[in-house]
Amino acid sequence: MSEERLVDVLFWVFAIGSVVTGYRVFRTDSMVRAAFYLLASFAAVGGILVLLGAEFLGMVLILMMAGEMLVMAIVMVMFMMNPAGLNPMWMVHQHRIAVAAGVVAFLAIASLGFLVDFPDQPNARPELATEQLGIELLGDSMLVFQTAGVALLSTMAGVVVLASRRGRYGIADEGSEEPPLQPDEVDLLGEEATP
Amino acid sequence: MRQFLARIAAGAPVPVFAIAGAGAREQVQDLRLNPGVRLVDSPREANVLLVAGAMPESLAEPLQRIHDAMSHPRCTVVAASPEGRDLHAWLPDATAVALHEPIAGGLVDVHRGILRGDRPSEPALLPDVEPAPWRGVGPFGQGGTGMTGGTPYGRPMADLLDDRDGLRLDILPLTVGPFFPRFPSGLILQATLAGDVVVESAIEANPFTDLDFEMVTPSPTLGPFLRALSAPVPIAELELARARSHLRWLADALVSQGLHALGVRVLALAARVRPGDGEEVRKLERLLRGTQVFRWSLGGVGPIAAERLIAIAAGPVARASGIAEDARADDPAYRELGFTPVTQRAGDAAARWRQRLAEAEQALDLAGRAGPRQTEVRGQVEGPRGLLLAEGAPTGRLYELVPELLAGLEWGDAIATIVSLDLDLEEAALAAQLTAGVPVA
Amino acid sequence: MRTYASPEFALLAVGFTMVVGIYVVAMLDHVVGGRVAARPLLWREIVAGPARSAALLIVQRRMTTERTDTPGWMLAPALFAALAATALALVPLGPDLVVADPETGFVVFSAAIAFVMIAVFLHGWSPNSALPLHGAYRYAAQALSFQIPFLLAMLATALPAESLSIVEIVAAQESAWNVVRQPLGLPIYLVVGLAVSFWGPLNLPDGADLAGGTSAEDSGIARLLWQAARAAMLVAIAAMGAAGFLGGWWGPWLSGIVWMLLKTVALLVLLIAAGHLLARVRIERFVVVAWVLLIPLALVNIFVSGAFLL
Repeated sequence: MSEERLVDVLFWVFAIGSVVTGYRVFRTDSMVRAAFYLLASFAAVGGILVLLGAEFLGMVLILMMAGEMLVMAIVMVMFMMNPAGLNPMWMVHQHRIAVAAGVVAFLAIASLGFLVDFPDQPNARPELATEQLGIELLGDSMLVFQTAGVALLSTMAGVVVLASRRGRYGIADEGSEEPPLQPDEVDLLGEEATP
Repeated sequence: MRQFLARIAAGAPVPVFAIAGAGAREQVQDLRLNPGVRLVDSPREANVLLVAGAMPESLAEPLQRIHDAMSHPRCTVVAASPEGRDLHAWLPDATAVALHEPIAGGLVDVHRGILRGDRPSEPALLPDVEPAPWRGVGPFGQGGTGMTGGTPYGRPMADLLDDRDGLRLDILPLTVGPFFPRFPSGLILQATLAGDVVVESAIEANPFTDLDFEMVTPSPTLGPFLRALSAPVPIAELELARARSHLRWLADALVSQGLHALGVRVLALAARVRPGDGEEVRKLERLLRGTQVFRWSLGGVGPIAAERLIAIAAGPVARASGIAEDARADDPAYRELGFTPVTQRAGDAAARWRQRLAEAEQALDLAGRAGPRQTEVRGQVEGPRGLLLAEGAPTGRLYELVPELLAGLEWGDAIATIVSLDLDLEEAALAAQLTAGVPVA
Repeated sequence: MRTYASPEFALLAVGFTMVVGIYVVAMLDHVVGGRVAARPLLWREIVAGPARSAALLIVQRRMTTERTDTPGWMLAPALFAALAATALALVPLGPDLVVADPETGFVVFSAAIAFVMIAVFLHGWSPNSALPLHGAYRYAAQALSFQIPFLLAMLATALPAESLSIVEIVAAQESAWNVVRQPLGLPIYLVVGLAVSFWGPLNLPDGADLAGGTSAEDSGIARLLWQAARAAMLVAIAAMGAAGFLGGWWGPWLSGIVWMLLKTVALLVLLIAAGHLLARVRIERFVVVAWVLLIPLALVNIFVSGAFLL
């Protein structure tokens, strides 16, 4: 099939896939499945971005979302009282209000799509899209962004270190304990409470 | 098409889930040396279940459970001496193979038969019933009283427990065993995991104590030690058996650290080693150092403080923590040979590995120099795992240490620690029956 | 104009490469394992072995567990195989011999590598069993730790080429291979390569201490697909390593394709030998090394090669 037809078919596959998997996020009974349906939805959006010629953005979206959705699945399991996320559960709360709000928001954005006069200037596909994207986003501040990136990475690592076993109140497996909220619970004789 | 594939498949190594009961540990280990057989870690991957040796009745249901977990086409092979009639009662469709002949040939034949369609795949032995049926009130089967409606499928709601990192995580109770491939046969560990960390653990009582050892022949590496309790045994024979025991343990331990091919190499060495071959063990130790197993896999894992081991006489485990207790030092025949106990200092899993390697090397040297000397002390003998008395074996004495050892260890480290302790439930049960005056072959 | 093969040819070429690659990995594994085990090897065993084992797994019937997440369990090996195929499709055999050469080839490769953690997590979570679940979570920790060193090490190879396209990365190695210009890059890449395909010392999710880990409940064709996908991913890693660090098709006397194949096989042998000769690394240690040692090394690698270019 011709390239244009292929692009059309792919666009509709990605678009409908994105909406359907997005809907499935809320109708599924398991946290991990919900996270992965959301991942599928984002991956479809990444596919659409590639179809639009923004190759770098689309691929980076897919790359980032893989790690992010996995971490989200794990954090969801961490916070819910559901052993390893293996038991079925009802994933939504106050769903009537949420559905109403969602439908209203969708209608509003869709109406924007129909009512606004989008400019019609077909561009030739850029030859070095990534380079142009980089210059557009980072401009003259490339070095600043690089240093900021490394600084952010070290900040993240530092946060984890602070939160880990060598916490603020001593080493966790040597009985570190945060001070109690009520001051009169502190043992005035200075003996350590058993961990 | 299926026939064609089955004919090609008949040439592949047979995937066998091998379970070693009493008196069959070495035959099952030696299957690794046979290229026609592949020992697998999970019954799902296996087509053949091999049960060798004698089994107590309390392990009947786990055997049947493993049988039902195998994939079709499946068959069972039982390799036991005549007293294994119980096994045929528990596993009715099994094929019998003699224990004291090479088992591998029988396995390959049975496997080829079942691929050709000579016999049907064995049906399930236990009823296919949900162990904890449950249905809540919601549209997905959830809901009811409480956040997730009680205990769905027998899994209790995730509780919170303090964890060593200061995080409070969900706990998962897990029962592992009795035929977990890294554990000695019969070891059942009930662990409570928080994430990947073992928070609490308990070991169930030794199931082999119910077994009547009258008709069971002890394995060739254990036999000399049991005989030495009551009669003089040539030191060369005793020390050779000790070296073989350590090398066989090392082969299994290497498999648990992901070095399958090296494990096979060590097993072949265990079979062909002769008195005076200390150099082979030295070469092996250099090879192992190159694999970085002492630094990456075992460094600092499962340390045992020397104070915990003082009165336990747990052989290499105690000597690896620096306690220089060895019953051989009381024996004048050994003193003539200039024997002094070897020790390590660190007391972690790497030290225990090094200790056994050093002891194997020392044992081979002693065996080479021993000549016709025989042991002169009765009633106690330093077995490969520790002091073997008529009253008990070292494994039983190490049992109480395991729960506190495992607390706070990550799962992989916990497995490495248990492997490094070299527990042997069969030996423990056998030693317990020695007090009753049960004769040993 | 960037090279893109037609979809039909692409499927054929990548499929053929994958099958051949998987077979080669199985044979090499058998040979190296046999040498390490000091066991005599028969030619017939080496050549026919993988086919026989594959036939055995096809004949075996699949068993399911209680309340599996069947779509997830079916999806995991298929997804893994598809990601390996994607990664293989990006590797050029010659300046015009590549299935797909997008302008952001490096990012596509990285996205394929990143998605592997989804496949492994699904593979471990779906069977509703404790040991596979444990393996899945371990891989999550492993994968999140190696992502940044991987991206940084490969990014350094893009610097001399001033482009993210794999073909141009290889073309820029005409004067000197990247392993010479950026010596830190290849060791980091190989460590990460072992971690991605969880092979040998970094086989933590499918490890022996978990009785097979995420594969503990696999049987039949599903097991065959999973093992095949792992082998295919190893081939993709070796091929991309040969392209990005060992100079791809550049080399004297022999044609480009032959050089590419030789370099890929050399890296494969290295990775497989590491699998048999290096002990399993503890997950804690790997995570610490990845964050504390590999990231600074990779950053140093980038800064130094950037300084040389400036």
